[in-house]
Amino acid sequence: MSWRRFFRRRPADAELVQEINLHLAEEIDENVARGIPPQEASRRAYVKFGSPTKVREQAWTRNSIAPLETLLRNVRFAGRMLARNPGYAFLAILTLGLGIGANTAIFTVINGVLLRPLPYANAAQLVHVDLTSAKLGPDPLLLSVQEVRDFREQNHVFSDLAEYHAMTFTLLGAKEPERVATGVVSGNYFTVLGVKPLLGRLIVASDESQTAPPVLMLSYAYWKKEFNGDRNIIGRTFEMNDRVHTVVGVLPPLPEYPDANDVYMPTTSCPFRSAPATIANRDGRMVTSYATLKPGVTLAQANSDLAALTQRLALQYPKSYPASAGIAPLTAAVESELTHAARPTFLILLGASGLVLLLACANLANIALSRQMQRSREMAIRMATGASQWNLFSQLLTESLLIALAGGVLGIGIAAIGSRLLIDYAARMTTLADGIHVDGRVLLFDLGLSLLAGLLFGVLPGYVASRVRLTSLSDSGERTTGSGTGTRMRSILVASQVTISFVLLLCAGLMLHSLYNLLSVDPGFKTANVLSMRLSLNWTKYQKSETSRAFFHQALERVQVLPGVQGAAVSMAVPLNSDMGPMKTGVLIEGQPVHPDEPLPQIDFAIVSPDYFRVLGTPLLAGRPFLASDAVDAPPVVIVNDRMARRYWPHENPIGRRVAFGSEKERKWATVVGVTSDIREYGLDKAPTETIYFAPDQAGMSNGSLLVRTSGSPMYLAAQIEKIIHQIDPQQPVADVRTIEQIRSAQLGTPRVTSVLLSLFAAVALFITIVGVSGTLALSVARRSKEIGIRIALGATRQNILRNVLTRGLLPVLIGLAMGSLAAAFATRVLATMLFGIKPDDPSTFIAIAVLLLAVAVLGCLIPARRAAKVDPMIALRTE
Amino acid sequence: MLKGTLDMMILRTLVAGDAHGHTIAKVIERTSEEMLEVEQGSLYPALHRLEDRRWVSSHWGVSENNRKAKFYRLTAVGRKQLTSETSRWRQMARAIALVMGEMPSEGGNE
Repeated sequence: MSWRRFFRRRPADAELVQEINLHLAEEIDENVARGIPPQEASRRAYVKFGSPTKVREQAWTRNSIAPLETLLRNVRFAGRMLARNPGYAFLAILTLGLGIGANTAIFTVINGVLLRPLPYANAAQLVHVDLTSAKLGPDPLLLSVQEVRDFREQNHVFSDLAEYHAMTFTLLGAKEPERVATGVVSGNYFTVLGVKPLLGRLIVASDESQTAPPVLMLSYAYWKKEFNGDRNIIGRTFEMNDRVHTVVGVLPPLPEYPDANDVYMPTTSCPFRSAPATIANRDGRMVTSYATLKPGVTLAQANSDLAALTQRLALQYPKSYPASAGIAPLTAAVESELTHAARPTFLILLGASGLVLLLACANLANIALSRQMQRSREMAIRMATGASQWNLFSQLLTESLLIALAGGVLGIGIAAIGSRLLIDYAARMTTLADGIHVDGRVLLFDLGLSLLAGLLFGVLPGYVASRVRLTSLSDSGERTTGSGTGTRMRSILVASQVTISFVLLLCAGLMLHSLYNLLSVDPGFKTANVLSMRLSLNWTKYQKSETSRAFFHQALERVQVLPGVQGAAVSMAVPLNSDMGPMKTGVLIEGQPVHPDEPLPQIDFAIVSPDYFRVLGTPLLAGRPFLASDAVDAPPVVIVNDRMARRYWPHENPIGRRVAFGSEKERKWATVVGVTSDIREYGLDKAPTETIYFAPDQAGMSNGSLLVRTSGSPMYLAAQIEKIIHQIDPQQPVADVRTIEQIRSAQLGTPRVTSVLLSLFAAVALFITIVGVSGTLALSVARRSKEIGIRIALGATRQNILRNVLTRGLLPVLIGLAMGSLAAAFATRVLATMLFGIKPDDPSTFIAIAVLLLAVAVLGCLIPARRAAKVDPMIALRTE
Repeated sequence: MLKGTLDMMILRTLVAGDAHGHTIAKVIERTSEEMLEVEQGSLYPALHRLEDRRWVSSHWGVSENNRKAKFYRLTAVGRKQLTSETSRWRQMARAIALVMGEMPSEGGNE
């Protein structure tokens, strides 16, 4: 057996014929020469040679590859069968193509985000190290410069530890003055990550010294965007923080982690980080750290080593680690930090699309089964003529595999388009979305899935067909003999279809319910017609609080008088801003007992200008808003939110009460002058926290956002407002110009897309299932028409028949529902983290979905049931 | 005919020079004093098998009677194979002869 011979069988046979002919001719010649008459000579030659055909057959078989032969024959036959049923072939290929396509598209995302290695050389060992404070909340505490040094010098588990924090600085020397997101890193930061520069060199240890000339590295995205990928950028200088910085390198494209930074500088270039006071202050926690684990060290070992280290520090510096705060180290794998948000969503979507594909397979198996019953005669004939069970089985399996592979080809196309649509969606959850594209692994997945789908829907009909009995050849109306198995199988298929679609519908229902909850969340203010823009001031220019105060005053004055502006305010942050978490601080509340062992009440704080609540349309519940008279030298005042008031002054009037901040020495008391209703500052899905509001003049504010309520479309005024800002300070960048409505819908985007996708899958599932339910019942009615005819002839009423058929049709549905509710109890639990305002076992959703599914199933059964009731006994009895 | 001996005899025949199928059959019959009658049909599968193993090669030529014929030629590998088969055959023949010893002149079936 050889491939060469296999494909040369025809010419080889021709040669063999020639050889045989020559042989016979020579033999005849010899015989003739011996004096035998020609006819007898020829006869003797043939007798001596034996059968030439047999020799040729032998050679042919020798040159064949038997399984391949069978396969090719099966494929040709399957192709002919499908060509004869183009409708079925089209429907089946389309169904599977959509199913496989959806799965492959989602797998493409998973492949790009979860399976692809991170672009860091040390990805597997890379960990993020921070401190947490169990008593103060779940958010990390960050580290002080002292702590980073201690961790670096005293740990036993890391081969290296790097420091990082993010700032925004103004960069001068580009086209326009620009606020650049800056990563401030220690000299070993990039070697810890395991990153090589695209151009130039990395920031190295020698750059991190007070005497070294300031250097910058550009991120790939910033280099592309601002400098069009100019390769001569190395050596160019820019002014930042009143110092000249030289570009020494450009980074390769990396995920936007830990932040989407434009440039990187060594710690010594950051005026805040390098200030001697910062370096000396063990409590000044403003940086974080990244480390590489030594080979063989686990995350848990690292954590316990650092815990021991922290305990030693706590003994040494009890003031910095009060027992009441519960400070502990926290290490987390960078890999999981990058992917944890996207992982559940996409695994759930893959699960859902997998179920839809399974459903599609069940449905195709169902259709194939009914085709099989029609073809049982053909199968019986083939069996009678010598085909084995395996022959029939493999024949039918080839047919379904052929369909599935065609579906797989279609699926690749769908996946290529679908995954492109999913990139934006994935980008909301992970910074690794750039890596999403169809590659070899995706193609392999598609192929594997196609084969699996082909097997899934081909095995059952193949099995049923191969068990066909020869009795179905006799004309005695025994058509049901071979198909009793078929009908039972179909009922099982229907029940499992109902199970799957119930689970999918329930998941979709929960997501939609959760989305509805999110949509109806009251953020605590009127979101319409409010424009926001970020004005982060250049700290070197606005070092004194008077200058920043003057800037904001001037901006507000000029913007307020613009036509179309109903009010303007500045605040430290834009509400609904999910990029940030609460900035809690310990607050002393007058009249509340202080326990020395417990931390002070941790209250979120915000800085807002007098018109803030009016601009947002947030009602003031008591007292007064901030006034222009709440100036820097006036008595300090604060406004508290409703939640704060209820918690600390229940049944009391908080107006006039006092709160204090800061250390014991410089403690300043401020009087509560107003109570405002709650605002969701950090996202629609985050409950409002207890908050204290300060007036900007009294608190000092260097980074703020301008909020403007307009009478018309807010974006309409954006350009005008920007112009005003540039009139006040031509070097002041204006960033993140958005309406609050845009911020709100961006937050709804992810749950909305998830809900839409799940609902789409569920709708397809419902449709497929109902087609399956009613199709199966219709077939069984057609099959039973004789029996029904007899019943009617014997006096059964139409109602009896209708009820009987409906019961039969709904039985698998009810079984499916029962199994579905069991399965759903487990399946919906994985959704828990993605739901808002609803429990995964919400009974109302559960009941609503069950009723919906049952109602649709009844509708689907009604058509065949009515047909059964209309059976004319005379016709039914005569036709069979 | 004993299994495997046909291959050996074909190879042996080809030592004398290239030959086509009919000649090979004739040579075997003639040299065995018509004792071995090659089942002519089985000759061709055997030839193809030997060709697959690269013990013989084939080329088209013209027969003595001026017909287009496929000639087979012993390859170097085939020659080596023939040597080893021959010695194995000799050992086998000797062994069988030893077992059989002196044969009664009119005894047995054969």
